[in-house]
Amino acid sequence: MIQKKICLLGAFAVGKTSLIKRFVESIFSDKYLTTIGVKINKKTLSISNQDINLMIWDLEGEDDYTKINTNYLRGAAGYILVADGTRAETLNTALSIHTLVQDLLGDIPAVLAINKADIEDQWLISPDSIDNIDKNLTIIKTSAKSGANVEQLFTTLSCNMLHIKE
Amino acid sequence: MSETVLEKLYSELDFAVLATSDNEVFTCITAPPSWLQQLYPTIKKGCHLTQEELPAFLQHFTFDAEEHWQRKQKGQLKSGLWMEEGPEDSEWVLEATAILVEDNKLLLLNFVHEGQSNRQEKQLMRDNLLTQEKLELEVHRRTLQIRQREEEIAIKLIAASGKRDEETGAHIRRIGLYAAEMAKALGWSQLLIDDIKLAAPMHDIGKIGIPDNVLQKPGRLTEAEFEIMKGHARIGGEMLAGSNIPMLKLASSIAIGHHEKWDGSGYPNGLKGEEIPESARIVAIVDVYDALVHKRVYKKAFSEAEALEIMDDMAGYHFDPSLYRLFLLIIDKIREIKNQNKDDDV
Repeated sequence: MIQKKICLLGAFAVGKTSLIKRFVESIFSDKYLTTIGVKINKKTLSISNQDINLMIWDLEGEDDYTKINTNYLRGAAGYILVADGTRAETLNTALSIHTLVQDLLGDIPAVLAINKADIEDQWLISPDSIDNIDKNLTIIKTSAKSGANVEQLFTTLSCNMLHIKE
Repeated sequence: MSETVLEKLYSELDFAVLATSDNEVFTCITAPPSWLQQLYPTIKKGCHLTQEELPAFLQHFTFDAEEHWQRKQKGQLKSGLWMEEGPEDSEWVLEATAILVEDNKLLLLNFVHEGQSNRQEKQLMRDNLLTQEKLELEVHRRTLQIRQREEEIAIKLIAASGKRDEETGAHIRRIGLYAAEMAKALGWSQLLIDDIKLAAPMHDIGKIGIPDNVLQKPGRLTEAEFEIMKGHARIGGEMLAGSNIPMLKLASSIAIGHHEKWDGSGYPNGLKGEEIPESARIVAIVDVYDALVHKRVYKKAFSEAEALEIMDDMAGYHFDPSLYRLFLLIIDKIREIKNQNKDDDV
């Protein structure tokens, strides 16, 4: 079976762990619990009759005092950047991490998740700022709470890693 | 040091130690601490684990560890923290350390006891950061609300004065936009740019105090009537004075100062050069430009080239020459504002 390591990256409290919990265990909790270091989850996806075992690395989010530990990125075949639609600055954090990872790992598949799509009416990330993002980066509006597009998020990244058209 | 002492030492430190010779098979050389037994019950003292049988995080770390061992450097290499699911939905924080002891490649695994308290501290800090973000957002939202109210009041005031005046709504709007563009080019702060955008349209608000027979006279004003008309600058300045709202303070200085001239020949106070507030000097330029390039009951609209020719002559005695140069530098943006805010559009 194909095994791929993927990383979830972004500012703190944007919902990285919640997206993984929704994807792997189909559960959601409103309570915010910070991740320390990294936590690894696994899930197998079947794409075009190919099974792919995802090793999902949930990296501790960035804040003013904590930057991502780049040692954890080694061997990643793809990554998901996560921003919180209700916190405009988290998009900048996600994009700056994107630049950092590109410098370290080169042009590997990446997808940007703008989370909290269930309360899109409260978003502070403007449509204009989304339009201005590099068109090579796939953007998916997700909701860990409702589950909207969460499966799609991981499937899209997996397809990109396997060079399969969705 | 005997093996028994070492064993006790590891136990006291709550370490588990794995040894490897080829980085493919790892042997647990200590009695596993209780936390390890709970997480990985199959790991016993003396058992052999292939790399694939190691916890996922350790599999990853062994690559870094091997590089460290190969370099035969003194000291230790820490893996960084990782979390594993413990009993009863708990999450445990662990760390691994690679060391080389007399050519023995060792991996020390430890349960980070302070991990939980560190996590609580970090949780608290991040909860506070989130609260702070929310409060800042609320302050920003409230500030915007206040600004919108200021804007509404300003618009009502302008509309009240406009009822008796021939000036169009578009002219008033353009003056604010031109002035804001000038302020931006001058490097003013965004707050001040927003203020002048609202304040500049109030420059003629004092006309509300000019009698109808003068203000609405269709023909040319007599000298006496013109003297009365000139009073609008002082009336406007006084109407808007005495407020603590920065935008109204700015509006007052613009209203009273926008007919002052660089050479001191203007009114109402005959101020000269930089005695005239910069905001009023800006409005003096954009007000004349807008009046020249638009049709009025008493004159046709001049082309921009004609208007600028007239204004070129006014620079130095009427206008602040350096501000006028700046105006010419941003004329493309000024023209854009003019074209996007035509009299008929409002």
